Amino acid sequence: MEFTSQLLYPLDQVLLAVMIFSIMFGMGSSLTVDDFKTVARYPRGILIGFLSQFGLMPFFAYGLAVFFSLDPAYAISLILIGCLPGGTTSNMFAYFARGSVALSIAMTTASSVMALLMMPFLLEFYTTGFVDEISAELQASGAGIEFVIPTGNIIASLVLVLVPVLLGMFLRHKSPAWAKTAEDTAGFMGIIVIIYLIGTAVIRHTGLFLQTPTEIYVSAICVGLLGFLFGYWMSRLFKLSPIFQRAISLETGIQNGPIAFAIILLSFSEPYQSQMLWLAILYSTFIVISSSFVTLYYRKVGKFDYEVFQNTTIHNRLFGEEYVSKYPEGYLPDRIKNDPSQGSNPGQIRKAAEKAKPV
Amino acid sequence: MENRILAKNLADLYCKAAERYSALPAFATRKSELDWDPVSFGELYDRGLNLATGLIELGVGARDHVGLFGDNRFEWILADYGVQLCGAADVPRGRDVTDAELIYIINHAEIKIAFLETTVLLGRVLKLKKELPKLKEIVLLDSDFKAGDQYRTIDEIEHIGKNLREKGDRRAEDRIEGIRPGDLFTLIYTSGTTGKPKGVMLTHENMMSQIRGITVELSCTDRVLSILPVWHIFERVFEIFTISCGVCTYYSNVRHLANDLKNVEPTFMGSAPRLWESLYLKIRKNVKQAHPMRQILFHTAYFLSRQYRSSAYFLTGKKLYLEPPSTVKRILLTPFHALRWLLVLPIYGFFNVAVLEPVRMSAGGSLKATISGGGALPVEIDRFFNYIGIPVLEGYGMTETSPVIAVRLEENIIIGTVGPTLQDTEVRITDIETGEIIYPNPALPHQGRGVKGEIRVKGPQVMKGYYRDPEQTKSTIQNGWLRTGDLGMITFNDCIKILGRSKSTIVLLSGENLEPEPIEMRLTQSPFIEHCMVVGQDQKHIGALIVPNIEGFRDDGFKVDSLQELAKDSEAKSIIHDEIKRMISVENGYKRFELIHDFRLIGECFSNGEELTGLLKMKRHVITDKYEKLIDEIYHHETSEES
Repeated sequence: MEFTSQLLYPLDQVLLAVMIFSIMFGMGSSLTVDDFKTVARYPRGILIGFLSQFGLMPFFAYGLAVFFSLDPAYAISLILIGCLPGGTTSNMFAYFARGSVALSIAMTTASSVMALLMMPFLLEFYTTGFVDEISAELQASGAGIEFVIPTGNIIASLVLVLVPVLLGMFLRHKSPAWAKTAEDTAGFMGIIVIIYLIGTAVIRHTGLFLQTPTEIYVSAICVGLLGFLFGYWMSRLFKLSPIFQRAISLETGIQNGPIAFAIILLSFSEPYQSQMLWLAILYSTFIVISSSFVTLYYRKVGKFDYEVFQNTTIHNRLFGEEYVSKYPEGYLPDRIKNDPSQGSNPGQIRKAAEKAKPV
Repeated sequence: MENRILAKNLADLYCKAAERYSALPAFATRKSELDWDPVSFGELYDRGLNLATGLIELGVGARDHVGLFGDNRFEWILADYGVQLCGAADVPRGRDVTDAELIYIINHAEIKIAFLETTVLLGRVLKLKKELPKLKEIVLLDSDFKAGDQYRTIDEIEHIGKNLREKGDRRAEDRIEGIRPGDLFTLIYTSGTTGKPKGVMLTHENMMSQIRGITVELSCTDRVLSILPVWHIFERVFEIFTISCGVCTYYSNVRHLANDLKNVEPTFMGSAPRLWESLYLKIRKNVKQAHPMRQILFHTAYFLSRQYRSSAYFLTGKKLYLEPPSTVKRILLTPFHALRWLLVLPIYGFFNVAVLEPVRMSAGGSLKATISGGGALPVEIDRFFNYIGIPVLEGYGMTETSPVIAVRLEENIIIGTVGPTLQDTEVRITDIETGEIIYPNPALPHQGRGVKGEIRVKGPQVMKGYYRDPEQTKSTIQNGWLRTGDLGMITFNDCIKILGRSKSTIVLLSGENLEPEPIEMRLTQSPFIEHCMVVGQDQKHIGALIVPNIEGFRDDGFKVDSLQELAKDSEAKSIIHDEIKRMISVENGYKRFELIHDFRLIGECFSNGEELTGLLKMKRHVITDKYEKLIDEIYHHETSEES
């Protein structure tokens, strides 16, 4: 599928830039220096999160691109999405999915910094084949130029999007109340711009939705879903507690879309830019929907465990660290009773075990 | 999952709860912000048995009445356990009981042993000792004090019982065996129209029917924050219900509420409308003080939630139907609501998460639902909480029905109603004047739904009667049907909508009941006051509508032509203001909530046949309707002053 006209008009591009700026500003507004310190508190969670974010996701993106033999521009865009760090949206979803918000924030922070290093490397690694394909095409058409991944531009774009983040953090430092407002406003603007972009796309390029091959839709939806699924299983394999499993799962699947927009706009030219943007727009749209469903599912599944966890935590908060909550026989299912990491307070279980030991 | 324990009687319930929930905390008392004292179900039961044995040793017989005067604290519950486990019934009342009430209640209920919470209360009772010939023993709940010559402490009695039980005393178990379903578990005195309190006899079966009938789902992992007075039947049933579900009740109070909400993170809470009102005002104030952008965000969120929910309510049939729903209208409107619901959903979803959740966090964050009872919840507050996502369940009942008649649960939240009746409970709407049945009446269209009348109730929760007052009992309960004194109607989705009172008792927002007649009678003794009607149903304070006495003013040297002119005179107003201040005061024996906060003068005499009955009694509902604006003015004036 070829784009006969530009996907985004200049006005849209300006809008998109404003959105990227405000979302990244909003993200910064939600961060404090302490969040960076939190990273140190969850080394295991961060490491597993890192593996799934920069290990699994790019691989899935690549796998999907190869499996569906996507057009090279789409493939590169998909891999780019796969390599992105996490965004603040995932923190909100983690909260509602009864996951660990602290870990989610820590992962967002860590991955945003790590992205400077990992993204150019991963892109280089996974996109080589597709880049060659485009170059071959260009050569065949006699354009006589080579297509390369503009690594320098990508790093520059990454640094550029970090500027509003720093500004946001500065605002947060000065006035937490205003920062909270900025964060919500940014989130709202993000939704409005996405809706606007899709709306205008529907009106201007009505055929686009029909022309877009099914495999593009499937890839855009699946890359997030695979992230959710494997992020969950990976952390489960490493026996992290359910609240961490849910946080890592969501953090892995939900990527920082605005960064993709920024990189595509700043580093790629037509005719590839429109194709790449289109995939990024589709991903951003579907990820909101799918993560809403996944969150609702986690919320339901985690309800009982979370309530036990919370009640036990409050018992310790009010009755002292030594207090041990003893639920009636058979009230706690085996998964919680026998596994300290599954919801009930690990500290309590440990203490109970110590008490049971003969002195 | 069915978590509740169902039992034969209260003692049996306490016993089963101890077996099932044994080591889980049952009640927690606040020592400091983050230091609370838990008492487990097992410990509470064991201590209750000890206390019961001690009480038996002191001579408390089965079915005796034991006084229990005090407010929320762990020892109150312990005392209640002791009383129930020795097969007796308690007679509860708060610290604010007046001397006259103490004398009346203790003598009328033939109380031989009374628990008193504080030394202040102890001092008052000791002073009245001469007038309390039947009172033999006084037990102090406050364990910070040592026993004296004239009283014992609860610790002491527990200790007596403990020693006996260690020697094998099992009299308490025999007493528990001997409890019959029709035995009283409590005798609650409410103020009566004649000024004398009435003793409402509630049986074990009454209470057990409530536990069966209330279908709120709670479990061991829930937490309830308690701030209502425990002797109030609404709070009482709530605490017994939490015991049956293994829920821990945390005792808080209004002063510490904001902090306790944050630290305890209650999942469920019951309160009088007053609390919801103050929480509502607080949230509104916070919004007003926030940045303009935040205000816009909040109002947008609230607007979207309203759009979203009203469509959702429409689609699920949870709208308030006071008229028969029209099928044509429904078919025509359904696509509109379905479309609006679908369109608003994603944006509402975002706002719900980003803006409304922090607002909910200010109410503790974990609240699954809240229940309001003890008075009518103003509709706008009801709406507000439901729209911001804290479902407010509303209950309807009275002490005489132990207390729940109907409750609006989460699955049938129809704002403006108190929900459908409990299982096994029947409700009738009768004509106020003739007593004829309006609902259910096959002769009327739609069986009489949507027509206003007096609510009557028949069911397992209806009291046994008023203690030693067959006359009052007879006039209140006829053929098993209890006259509630409330006006209401049945909506077209079979919920009860409350529309006011047919009896004169005024229930304030705080849940306090007061009889207007004594106050009115006192006021009309003034030469300046011709007629007076006290108002304030579901309000914070009482107010009054007053027809000045033109003769009285003329005698005082006032030159005035007409009543209308007099009613507008500011000097007359200040004279009457002083009269009210002088006559209705705490010094004169009135309770704080009986003080009149504001009043309006009426320039038209009440006339026979219109505002007055043939016997010259005021027709309250007629006057209320006629002077609705003036009454509104009293209260709107008040709220605008506050904000």
